[in-house]
Amino acid sequence: MTGQTEVRQTELGGLESVWESGMEDVYAFYRESAPPQVALAAALVESAVDLQRLGGPAPDPPQLLLGDLCLARASRLLAETGEQALQVGFAQAVERVAAAASAGSRDPGLRDLLLAAITGAR
Amino acid sequence: MITGGRLEVTSDRPTQFVDISTRLQDEVTATGLVSGRVYLQSLHTTLGLAVNENEPLLLQDLQGTLERLAPRDVAYHHDDFTRRANIADDEPVNGHAHCRQLLLQPAFTLLVENGRVILGRWQSIFAVELDGPRQRSIALQLDGEFAPSGARAGACKNDRDRELVELELARQLRVDPESVQLPMRRLVEAGGKRLRPLLVMLSARLGPRQEPLRAAALAAAIELIHDATLVHDDYVDRAGIRRGRPTVAAAEGASQAVAVGDFYFAKATRVIAELGNQEVTSTVAAAMETICLSQMDDVRLRGLYPGDFDVYLRVVRGKTAALFAAACRAGAQLSDARPETAEALSQFGDLLGIAFQMADDLLDYSESSGKPRGQDIRERVLSLPLIYATENDRVGPRIRELLAGSVSEEDVGEIQTLVSASGALQRVGQDARDLATSAVSRLDAIDVDGIRPVLADLARSAVDRVR
Repeated sequence: MTGQTEVRQTELGGLESVWESGMEDVYAFYRESAPPQVALAAALVESAVDLQRLGGPAPDPPQLLLGDLCLARASRLLAETGEQALQVGFAQAVERVAAAASAGSRDPGLRDLLLAAITGAR
Repeated sequence: MITGGRLEVTSDRPTQFVDISTRLQDEVTATGLVSGRVYLQSLHTTLGLAVNENEPLLLQDLQGTLERLAPRDVAYHHDDFTRRANIADDEPVNGHAHCRQLLLQPAFTLLVENGRVILGRWQSIFAVELDGPRQRSIALQLDGEFAPSGARAGACKNDRDRELVELELARQLRVDPESVQLPMRRLVEAGGKRLRPLLVMLSARLGPRQEPLRAAALAAAIELIHDATLVHDDYVDRAGIRRGRPTVAAAEGASQAVAVGDFYFAKATRVIAELGNQEVTSTVAAAMETICLSQMDDVRLRGLYPGDFDVYLRVVRGKTAALFAAACRAGAQLSDARPETAEALSQFGDLLGIAFQMADDLLDYSESSGKPRGQDIRERVLSLPLIYATENDRVGPRIRELLAGSVSEEDVGEIQTLVSASGALQRVGQDARDLATSAVSRLDAIDVDGIRPVLADLARSAVDRVR
């Protein structure tokens, strides 16, 4: 687990299974372009959208709630960075993906949106 | 001096006892009537008024009495449209409803002392719908001694706060894509007490930086977070009705409910971030995480149903009280209030949130709440009346026996009857009132700049929804 050493255990509380089911790899991807806390926030947002199957059939309630926790934790991590541009950029990314899913229109590509938010905040 | 107005009431069933006690008290408070009388007059021939006890089984009895005295399924001359002139296309078959109205009162007078409508311990005021569902109006006149305008300035300011929150909510929703906006508007426009946004607005008056428009933006965002959690909760709990209207999951489908909830979580987060106050952003983000953890805890604990008081308190503190506390703390932080003020308000919000949830649990046993009765039992949602009733030696064993298997509709009815008979509803009501009092006492140590009575009134109205 390459990333777990820099991710505090408290940040994964309740989400250990999500981390082991692929979030670790997503974190490693974002870690190439962002500091640990921001990379983890991005990985959490991606995991939330996957868990909640936005744009697809509805998830089971436990998955929905895990996804909600991922989104909330990402917000808290971003709040701790104190970087307003990141907070706004990440929120707008989720808004766009959720709106597209709800309208049945083309997926705007969450990863690109998050990377743009990370780049734009620099 | 005399003043007046109209009380609008919406019913969602053919016969329904709608408890208007709190709303009437709100009207009295808003006008500043200190001592005098309130005159109420139904403006409909199939809407009656009554003062009686809001006890679910009694309301069934009262409804049964009306049914026996003027049955729906017998012939009424009034319903023979061939013998009547000028019949409208939508003329209802409602002879029974007119006859039932004779058994109730079309108008009455209530006394007011020290700004409070005088009611006995068990008395509630009802608008009695006899031919619903419909939108109804009740005329009000208030007559007597009113507080001087200076003392009413606080109440007027509260009205302005409410108006500002509603305008900001409408403004926020108007710019959103229709696919998410329309379902959320249905929920937002269905009402709700707006307690959390009002707590933001009041708390935001306590620091040196008072900016009502920024406070309204925060207040609307807090309400949207609350509503987003409701949209997801309703899917998890398989609830079909919320605030008397279909839930997003029921009307638009589960996938839409997920997307709508996510959209408004994110939007609220963005609106708060755009305020540019780091403390506020952190307070709300921490509360959102607490809410999610507690929601997972709640679902996990349904296997241990009905649980005990400690488990209940832990879950409710996270699921409900965390956002009340955050609304108070964040409002204070937005106005640059002193840290001890923010802390005291947060404690007030925490206790008020728990009290509010206890009162909310009672609505599952109420005929007039707008929620389907027994839903908490069907979905195995933690509920204090049920916990207290299972502790009762007389009815507890039977309730546990019924809950052990799959619960049929008949079982739900029997459990409700047993809980009502156990005295648990009265105990929960008293607990909620005690907690609300305790919440207000947390404000004693700080200077709350004249809003203490408003917060105390808000606390009282939060727990007085069911008597």
